[in-house]
Amino acid sequence: MIAAWTLVAVAFFALAILVYVAIRSRTRLVDLEKAVQAFRSLDIEAFRNLLDSAEEAFLRDNLSPKKFREIKRQRAWAALIYAWEAGRAATALAKIGQAAQRSSDPKIAASGVQVAESAFRLRLQTVRACPHLLTEILLPDLQSRSLPPLVDQYERAAETLFRLGRFSSIERRS
Amino acid sequence: MLPFTWHKVLFLFLWISPHVLLGVLVVVFCKRRLYREFPCFLAYVLFEIAEFILMFTLYIFALYSVLSATANQYAYAYYATLMFSLVLRFGVINEVSKDLFRESQFLKVAARRSLQCITGLLLAMGVALAVYAPGDISVKWVAGASVVTRGAALVQCGLLLTLLLFSRFLGLTWRRPAFGITLGLGVLTSVNLAIYALRAEFTNRVGAAFLNFLATGTYLVCVSIWIGYLLAPEPQPASLAVVPHDEVETWNTELQHLLRD
Repeated sequence: MIAAWTLVAVAFFALAILVYVAIRSRTRLVDLEKAVQAFRSLDIEAFRNLLDSAEEAFLRDNLSPKKFREIKRQRAWAALIYAWEAGRAATALAKIGQAAQRSSDPKIAASGVQVAESAFRLRLQTVRACPHLLTEILLPDLQSRSLPPLVDQYERAAETLFRLGRFSSIERRS
Repeated sequence: MLPFTWHKVLFLFLWISPHVLLGVLVVVFCKRRLYREFPCFLAYVLFEIAEFILMFTLYIFALYSVLSATANQYAYAYYATLMFSLVLRFGVINEVSKDLFRESQFLKVAARRSLQCITGLLLAMGVALAVYAPGDISVKWVAGASVVTRGAALVQCGLLLTLLLFSRFLGLTWRRPAFGITLGLGVLTSVNLAIYALRAEFTNRVGAAFLNFLATGTYLVCVSIWIGYLLAPEPQPASLAVVPHDEVETWNTELQHLLRD
């Protein structure tokens, strides 16, 4: 009996999500500027620093274990927020890329493909990074495993966005 | 002639009208040549219409005791066609997922691999459910069929939900027909999941009648969603918002700062 009611609850939860997604699926204007602002809002150097294993080794050697745990938790938490924001920026970027893919200008369309692919990669890497960072928050004494190349992917995505912006501005000028 | 009560009329309306609408859907589908992209969905719709004709004939025969058709034969036919329908639904889910990931080579591999993992997980949950909560049905083959339909509904509902959440999460753009098919099937499978779960527990006549109303009503809603999304014009592809030229230059400069050479 409990299983039956659990399944009913699951089914209605799924139905609620479906309705929510249907309501939110209206086509919205894809705003290139907003995506750029999302990318601009992240301090990439600070992000790189937070994920730097050499930096962590330095802190481990120079701080008391208690202080190190506290600092590491804070660093991991900050990195998690960065990764989350990078993921959101990647989603915006993916929408830009897909809109650009449908452009009549072949250069913009080709660039759009690159932007979208880059955004999808970045989004999935942020997902992979989150469990790593959560583990670090919960178990700061554990030796950090290498994170996916998140920052590099972020820079690659920004580069493709820059290229697309250049093509778009040329198109608007002509 | 048997007397028609209001609930019988309502039941017949809810049973017949979605299948008439499915006929309309086939016409719209063929006019828009969508069968090239969604052949499995067309096969599913045609099968549902054929299944309705068979079941309705058996229902009438059983009702008026023509050709010695019995309620048992009706039940056999119901479960046999339901199993085939469930298999076709998996094909439809595969079709919409292919359509969703059509524009990205990377996602074709990465997202489909994730979907396979999720399918495995959902299957394991379905099997666990069959083992630990088999239900309260006395007829053995009906109990077996009920476990299979419940498990399949769980997997299908989970997969459709995953596709919708994936698309939001990754910023993927749906095409209108694919979104309509997914949404309609999602509503159908989620309500079916609840119905199959309750049907396994509540076997009395009143409960079964209520669940039948719920199932046929949901099917009508689901077919209406499909038709609505098929008839609605495809929205204009989202365009990039126009950013003033001087601002474009400003953010280009900002991005150059971002990129460490």
